[in-house]
Amino acid sequence: MRFIARFCKEKSECFEIITIYDEHSEKEEISKENPSIKTITKKNPAGIWFERKMHDDFGIIIKDAFDKRPLVHQERFPKDIHPLRKDFTQHKLQEAPYLPYKYEEIRGDGVFQVAVGPIHAGIIEPGHFQFSQAGENMLHLEVRHFYTHKGIEKMLEGKRLEDAKPIIERISGNESIAYQICYRDIYLQATKQELPLSLQKRHALLLEIERTIHHLTDVGFIPNDAGFGAALSFASKLSEEARRKMRELTGHRFGFGAVSFENSFIDIDGFNEWLNDLEKSLDFFEDWIMDIPSLWDRFDTTGILSLKQAVKYASVGVVARASGIKIDRRANPFYLEHGFRMVNEESGDVGARFKVRLGELKNSIEMMRHFLEEDDTVLEVAKICDGEYQSFCESSMGELFMSIDIKDGVIERFFARDPSFMNWQAVHIMMQKDIIADFPLINKSCDLSYAGNDL
Amino acid sequence: MIKFWNKRAKLGVITEKPELEESLKKIRKEIKESVKKHFAGSLAIRMVDSGSCNACEAECNALSNPYFDLERLGIYFVASPRHADVMLLSGVMTFNMTPHVKEAYAQIPSPKWVISVGDCPMMQAPYERTYAINAPVTEHLQVTHHIAGCPPNPLEIMEGLLEFLRKI
Repeated sequence: MRFIARFCKEKSECFEIITIYDEHSEKEEISKENPSIKTITKKNPAGIWFERKMHDDFGIIIKDAFDKRPLVHQERFPKDIHPLRKDFTQHKLQEAPYLPYKYEEIRGDGVFQVAVGPIHAGIIEPGHFQFSQAGENMLHLEVRHFYTHKGIEKMLEGKRLEDAKPIIERISGNESIAYQICYRDIYLQATKQELPLSLQKRHALLLEIERTIHHLTDVGFIPNDAGFGAALSFASKLSEEARRKMRELTGHRFGFGAVSFENSFIDIDGFNEWLNDLEKSLDFFEDWIMDIPSLWDRFDTTGILSLKQAVKYASVGVVARASGIKIDRRANPFYLEHGFRMVNEESGDVGARFKVRLGELKNSIEMMRHFLEEDDTVLEVAKICDGEYQSFCESSMGELFMSIDIKDGVIERFFARDPSFMNWQAVHIMMQKDIIADFPLINKSCDLSYAGNDL
Repeated sequence: MIKFWNKRAKLGVITEKPELEESLKKIRKEIKESVKKHFAGSLAIRMVDSGSCNACEAECNALSNPYFDLERLGIYFVASPRHADVMLLSGVMTFNMTPHVKEAYAQIPSPKWVISVGDCPMMQAPYERTYAINAPVTEHLQVTHHIAGCPPNPLEIMEGLLEFLRKI
């Protein structure tokens, strides 16, 4: 039974704690006077961030939790406020006196701490990593995030579903199409409509372009972090071409606003030509990159996440598939009919994650050929009904989960669990046998989102 | 490796793509001159994300790809604010990032400038005000130039940098 998410909803009389597993979900009602629950982290360690977040957002006490530190609320955050409660309406916070955060640290003779971030050396998002080091060896890593926390859950409350779309598609720039598809599915559930096959194919095509762009960037950056810059030049050229294809199709380089209920023209011949070129370039790239021993010396056996640990931490996406877990939200009849096959590796190291990305790139090309179609279907959308809706989508990073409750025609509660939220919690496991110089490489091989994680 | 060198020789330089050639030529000439005048030949940029969706970062990374290749103009992204002339700021200035952004700015040696990139820092993106957002950035730092767009594409960022160089 795979753990997926755990979050809270405020009802008029009580708090509702929802826990989602792959086969079922649980609902627990607790009173608003001294709200408290029992932890699930003894079985599902990845539940800890959900529970710490719940405490920050709603003030729910986790009785027997092993970690009760704040998660989203950082050093200067005002104490004893719980922004996701309905009675909280402030739009500006005053900085509170600095209260130091107690890091997980290993102490001892010759053991020292290395703090990295929140602002990093490259052009990437902010997040903090705290290492306990014995010389070069990493003894422990604590991942600390939520620097880009924008309060999106609160931002969307009280909005009509239509008005929420521009914000939802900007939760994580790299996964915009995936977020839009999750939103689309919830929209269709709320209007009790089916999506015509042709539109389904167009959206799936866009999702695969997004995946292609992201994976291409990664297969360049991973070797670059191992000191092999030529691969980045090569792959970033391909990635730029894919991004231009996205723009040609949707009018936007990231596909913001692209998932709509109107189909539009695709230049199939031009698209196929690009796919053929990309396929050839990738074959060349693979042939070239697999043949560089000094690179694979860095990749192999670095940053191992064993199958057992990946299952324990409920990992998703590329990270899970590289460790041998066979999960992918695309494993359904629609995708299987259009050429989907799951790409798996066993070794769980940087090399495995690299190979999974390469494999998925090739599979995406194959699927995109099947998704191409000239069509001008328009779906007239019906009226939105109140209710509680959930949806899933496989983004380029992994399984994305979204839940939206609609009451009186507006959003009552919005919750999204980015795949990164699960995988970040497993990153510290990957570090334990490696040296600190391997960290950028391991981090890049997972390539997780900060913005989607922090909301 | 021999395969790679063969391929490279065959492919040649792709940076001068026909549809971009004219505009790039113009920009390159202008940027080169003003970078030389103001920054002794090279402009060092420290990019700081104060809470964006990562699209602006992706476009800044794209500036280094072979199609744009920003570095040939003498403009570099540097790893530390202490090496920088300019802070390129994206994102909505989240409550949690505000002190760190100010700290990074304090670490840049004078004279220094702030360029904001994308619609977020000016609160023009679709995001709306919440408890966790401190934008617009102008309430916290003095911004010399703004590059609009959600996100601005690499060429627009290049043009924005040029406009900034004309301004100072």
